[in-house]
Amino acid sequence: MKDIKIITEHWGKINPLKIEEYINFGGYGALEKFVLKMNPEKAIEEIQKSGLCGRGGAGFPTGDKLEMVAKNTSETKYFICNLEESEPGTYKDRLIVDNNPHILLEGIIISALSIGAKKAFIYINGNYEKQKEILEKALAQSREKKYWGENILGSAFRLEIEIYSGAGAYICGEETALINSVEGNRGEPKLRPPFPTEVGLFGSPTVVDNAETIANIPWIILNGGKKYSAIGSKNSPGTKIFLLNGAVEKPGTYEAPTGITVKKLIDEYAGGIKKGKEFWFAQIGGACGKLLLEKELKVKMEFGKECECPLGSGSILVVDKSVNIHDLLISWTDFFRRESCGKCVPCREGTFRLWEIAKRFRDGKISDRDKKAIEDILWTLDNTTFCPLGKFAGTAFRDAIAKNILTF
Amino acid sequence: MIRKTIQNILLEFEPKAKNILPALKKTSAVFGYVSEENAKIMAEYFGVSESKIFETASFYDEIRTEKQPDILIQICNSANCTINNSFEIIGEVENLLKIKAGSSASLKFKLEEISCLGRCADGPVMIVNGKIYERVTKSSLHSILEEYL
Repeated sequence: MKDIKIITEHWGKINPLKIEEYINFGGYGALEKFVLKMNPEKAIEEIQKSGLCGRGGAGFPTGDKLEMVAKNTSETKYFICNLEESEPGTYKDRLIVDNNPHILLEGIIISALSIGAKKAFIYINGNYEKQKEILEKALAQSREKKYWGENILGSAFRLEIEIYSGAGAYICGEETALINSVEGNRGEPKLRPPFPTEVGLFGSPTVVDNAETIANIPWIILNGGKKYSAIGSKNSPGTKIFLLNGAVEKPGTYEAPTGITVKKLIDEYAGGIKKGKEFWFAQIGGACGKLLLEKELKVKMEFGKECECPLGSGSILVVDKSVNIHDLLISWTDFFRRESCGKCVPCREGTFRLWEIAKRFRDGKISDRDKKAIEDILWTLDNTTFCPLGKFAGTAFRDAIAKNILTF
Repeated sequence: MIRKTIQNILLEFEPKAKNILPALKKTSAVFGYVSEENAKIMAEYFGVSESKIFETASFYDEIRTEKQPDILIQICNSANCTINNSFEIIGEVENLLKIKAGSSASLKFKLEEISCLGRCADGPVMIVNGKIYERVTKSSLHSILEEYL
């Protein structure tokens, strides 16, 4: 099972800028199967059977999301590929585009057609200029092959795909904020319900899926949902791209089955802790991620309400004892202070105050009043903010105190 | 002259809501920022209020609503770059140029701490006037800045 590769299978074996090389490896075979031998209902059924869930961090069942919009009778529907990747320490979607943009396009086309959308957007991080160029080239090639556009592969299916470039806002990775930004508004999250699957882009039913999630679709269509559901963790099957950075011997990107332990990822994939460094803790899933001590590294990396530690975007930062925790504290809090959209007061003020306190920690000026305030701020962020950004803004701070990583 | 150019930019975009953000990005990239005058022209073009244009423009990092200094230095201080000593680089820039991160006091230089760019394997990451530098060290910093001073 260790060697099963779904997303990274073609990496390094094909020239990402040549569609023929992907086709020679069986690429776009899933789209052909979908168009010629399946129908949208059957495709969604397979995706539901696979148990595939959102790889952006939330872990919502992908098949169910597609079904909701597929069943909607609205004339206009949209499919959006979320490539606004800006979680600190995360660059998996960028690597997917760098190494094999066509697997992503194939997944986008199948997903969009399955819900009956005639228009798909790829919402890409504004900093990913090179990746935008790669996608533009890949789109031109696949259009020429009749994989999208009018009469896809000679059928009655049609689809337009457009790349939409973000403008530097972390919150736009949240689907309602993303939609707001395409509509020409501030990228602030909207109240849900209604969910985008009912009232999405320009008021029409919309599916927003993370790029990594989408890259799984061709494999599922080709091999069947049942086979996919047998890989990895029972609750959130499949593989996941993990990004290991920090004090490990071989930092990098590794595709592994879900359910794998953090310890195994560090030891067997990333070559263990870097020589001469002493492990302190690992942060799972970016700036909003939990901190794990050595004794906790046996937790399984999976999605779902019952999981021990949300794996988030799949980034794992290994921190050794030479790192200045006060710098990290400023890094975390400054990130959320900067990226808080300002819509709701608890997040706007809470993230700002935490950042101020973090600076006083660094300067050794922490007061009794600060110590009391920390608890209040963390509770308020956790319980009263409008969207998940605020809810998770204090996670690392809270863990650092609870686990005695940060001491007064 | 400027008026003509903003109109040339706008001609690239259909006056639809979904083109507001791309048009703002382009305007900011070409002029360095979205001026009040240009915002007015954009508002007319898209058929929305001027405040709407500013409301959107002021939200995004890539779109500026104020004239920018000659040299804009941005350094990532997200966790991965932090453990690769980005704060040391930030401190060094502050000392060298006698500025404070985040301050707009100098017309010549501005230092900003920015969020992750997804180049974590090659941190610390620094951007000077749009050009990206990776694995910046104290010594490489000096030679990079010399190009601009």
